[in-house]
Amino acid sequence: MAAWGADAAELVDAVNGAAGGPAACSGADAYGIDGVTPKVAVRPAAVDAVSAVTAAAHRAGAAVTPWGGGTRTSIGNLPRRYDVALDLTGLDQIIAHNPGDLTATVQAGVTAAALQRTLADHGQFLAVDPPLPESATVGGALAVGSSGPLKWQYGSVRDVVIGMKVVQADGAVTKSGGQVVKNVSGYDVARLHVGGLGTLGVIVEVSLKLTPLPAHETTVTASYGSASDAIDAALDIFGGGTAPLALTVIDASAAADFKDLESGACHLAVRFGGRPRAVERMVSEAQAASKRHGCRRIRQADGAGAASLWRQAADFGWDTATRPTVGVRASVTPASVGSLWAALQRQGTAPGGRTALVGHPAHGIVQAHWRSDGAQPVDEAARAFIRSARRAIRAAGGKMVVEQCPASAKAGLDVWDDVGDQIAVMRSLKDQYDPRRVLSPGRYVGGI
Amino acid sequence: MPDVDPLVNELRAIVGNDYVIHLPEDLIVFEYDGSVDKAMPSAVVLPGSTAEVSEVVSAASRAGVPIVARGAGTGLSGGAVAEQGGLVVALTRMKRILEIDPADHLAVVEPGVVNLDISTAAAEYGLYFAPDPSSQRACTIGGNVAENSGGPHCLAYGVTTNHVLGMEVVLADGSIAWLGGRTRETPGYDLRGIVIGSEGTLAIATKIVVRLLKQPEAVKTLLAVFKEMDQASSAVSGIIAAGIVPAAIEMMDHFCIEAVEPAVNAGYPKGAGAVLLVEVDGLSEAVEEEASEIERVCRSYDPMEIRAAVDEEERARLWAGRKGVLGALGRLAPNYYLVDGTIPRTRLMEVLARITEIGDKYGLPIANLLHAGDGNLHPSVLFDERDPDQLRRTMEAGAEILELCVEAGGVLSGEHGIGLEKQEYMPLMFNDEDMAAMAKLAPAFGSRGRFNPGKIFPTGKTRAPIPHAGAVARTGAGAFI
Repeated sequence: MAAWGADAAELVDAVNGAAGGPAACSGADAYGIDGVTPKVAVRPAAVDAVSAVTAAAHRAGAAVTPWGGGTRTSIGNLPRRYDVALDLTGLDQIIAHNPGDLTATVQAGVTAAALQRTLADHGQFLAVDPPLPESATVGGALAVGSSGPLKWQYGSVRDVVIGMKVVQADGAVTKSGGQVVKNVSGYDVARLHVGGLGTLGVIVEVSLKLTPLPAHETTVTASYGSASDAIDAALDIFGGGTAPLALTVIDASAAADFKDLESGACHLAVRFGGRPRAVERMVSEAQAASKRHGCRRIRQADGAGAASLWRQAADFGWDTATRPTVGVRASVTPASVGSLWAALQRQGTAPGGRTALVGHPAHGIVQAHWRSDGAQPVDEAARAFIRSARRAIRAAGGKMVVEQCPASAKAGLDVWDDVGDQIAVMRSLKDQYDPRRVLSPGRYVGGI
Repeated sequence: MPDVDPLVNELRAIVGNDYVIHLPEDLIVFEYDGSVDKAMPSAVVLPGSTAEVSEVVSAASRAGVPIVARGAGTGLSGGAVAEQGGLVVALTRMKRILEIDPADHLAVVEPGVVNLDISTAAAEYGLYFAPDPSSQRACTIGGNVAENSGGPHCLAYGVTTNHVLGMEVVLADGSIAWLGGRTRETPGYDLRGIVIGSEGTLAIATKIVVRLLKQPEAVKTLLAVFKEMDQASSAVSGIIAAGIVPAAIEMMDHFCIEAVEPAVNAGYPKGAGAVLLVEVDGLSEAVEEEASEIERVCRSYDPMEIRAAVDEEERARLWAGRKGVLGALGRLAPNYYLVDGTIPRTRLMEVLARITEIGDKYGLPIANLLHAGDGNLHPSVLFDERDPDQLRRTMEAGAEILELCVEAGGVLSGEHGIGLEKQEYMPLMFNDEDMAAMAKLAPAFGSRGRFNPGKIFPTGKTRAPIPHAGAVARTGAGAFI
């Protein structure tokens, strides 16, 4: 595999030529990943130009990393090579919104917030809530693939995709799926790219399944003396007769970073949506469950107050105010959340600094964030935190991804969990779709 | 085709003599599925465990014999037909429900478990498995995984892929791997999602972890009767526009009503041009409100009648009508050719009108029953296969309907799959580069030419013009969609 050997100017020329003009951005420095800066950054404004740039890089043996809003580029192993940042924010068109069909087709670089605003005008939304939606792009959210608090009720990020156009590693533009909500025509190739971190192809356009905005929404927040009570209450509601849109537990340490949450307590936030009378009943059942588990105080918020809480919950760990030194995302079964939480809390303070936990028990997600207090060498402490988190998560039968970590601590670390026997097929997919290792080499599972 | 006799001996050693079928008279029942395509496998093997599946696959691989995995054989696109001969691996012996985990709302099942049996077993915990293909009393979860099956209630709840968390699979080299798992997120490419709907071409599922939903506390089923199809189509759009996504919206035209009413006594009025069956479920408060809003929407399109099922018995009868349509079409014509396609739901009215025109053009009645809420059409061309000219016209009408679906922004198949039936139509939706990208999956899984060869992609051959001729005669009242 020939790495890019020529000088940067030559690559810039090749990329500019391919993009049909001076599309290369100045300041490739802004596109660094784990301290590695690309030789050139390019921001094409059309799918054809993305194809041409990718094809040029493919011919040259240069390594390309697709770039959306740049909000979660900390996810991934250290780049093995990184020559071209392919900024897709120039693909910012909402191609079609068909309110009557509850579908939309958008370019990958549309921001999540811009799309939601357009959809909201028609009483609809995309049931995906990535962090930092003003910057995060639809393509980026899909490439990362992990879901926010809304996942329980509305399903995974991967479930909203009904069609996709992808630029392959050699520049070929291919499509799969369609623009309708029910379709089994041909292989569902889009599934490779949702959560694929841009390592098998560059997502350039997607068709999406939309959801009507709930007629009425409200949020109940209950505070607890212990996280285990909050989690028990959450699982009680999960197993009960009501169906909240989201169910999120915030520990006392994390609560300190939330604007409207009482500090020194754990919190369970439950988001309800639907017909007013149904919401009213769900609220009273959630209140009853909270009381059964010994909550101290219950509050209810609507409108801006609730929106702000859920914004903070989805952004947690990704905005500058709450960014941790190390961020770990664990996935366990709902019933294992309590034991995992306890284990993480026990080991949390071991390396010094501060640990904060936020979790969505109904879909088994726990985010464990550790912030260094500078008292110890950060790399060593970070590795210690990751090691003990991994032990706790394995013991709970779960899988984890280290989403944030100092680049200096990443050497020799696989930020992804062991994926078992399926790794052979995953490697073989990379061989098929990107044999020259053009797309983000090294950053994915098992060093793919 | 390689000689299978030495393989038969090897298979007997793996699964026991009773579970290898190779005499022609015994193989006949494995010659077809719910579609019309037929081909005789060289042998059929019924493994009883993952280890046996693995050994069988390895043995067939060494012998160079292709494998077609098979569940209940209810599929409608030829997915379980051994088009190129070879070994059929029937998974119907692997029918244990291994675990129901009420705390985590999941079940672990073997591939031969019948779809409905999962819900039946989960009922004691107040849980159920949502995908409900009309064949759910017969079809297996393994087959559902292969075809990514839907059903009437996938409008609100999604299709098979939305309800499978993970699978243990046997790959074409006989190795065993877990794709996905018990948790909601697993790192790495979504191989689970790639295998679901791959029509048996990539892997054989041997254990499946399915997500279970809580049984809704209330269900309400409405029947809305209209003079014209157009009014019913408009009502469907009106319901969606009101921000309601019901659990199901089914539509049947006058041919379906005429055929099914005398057979089933579902209570669909005579002389109606179309009926809508709309079901809402959830919390009782929400169900009441949504049902009355749906009723209000339907009233604005001048219905002949709107009625809510008053009890479970009436609800079952309304659904029996819907489920009995296909079997009852035999009252109108000796044969039908059932087409499956999806269009954007806002284009229902226009596309249904054009389907009627296509019927007129070819001088054949076309009955329409559809999962209207998600735009999934099932036009059924009624004909008599004994008349070769009718047969020719039927096939041409079917092709024109599929072209119409794609032209209207829709797709070739909503829920039945491509298989053998529609492989030659794939170029209507996908160009060579699109298909080349899809075709890389089988080599990546190591299954090319080994698992279900000759399916999905166009072969360039002209299809023998008889896809569904005789389907009624063969499947009769048990015919499903």
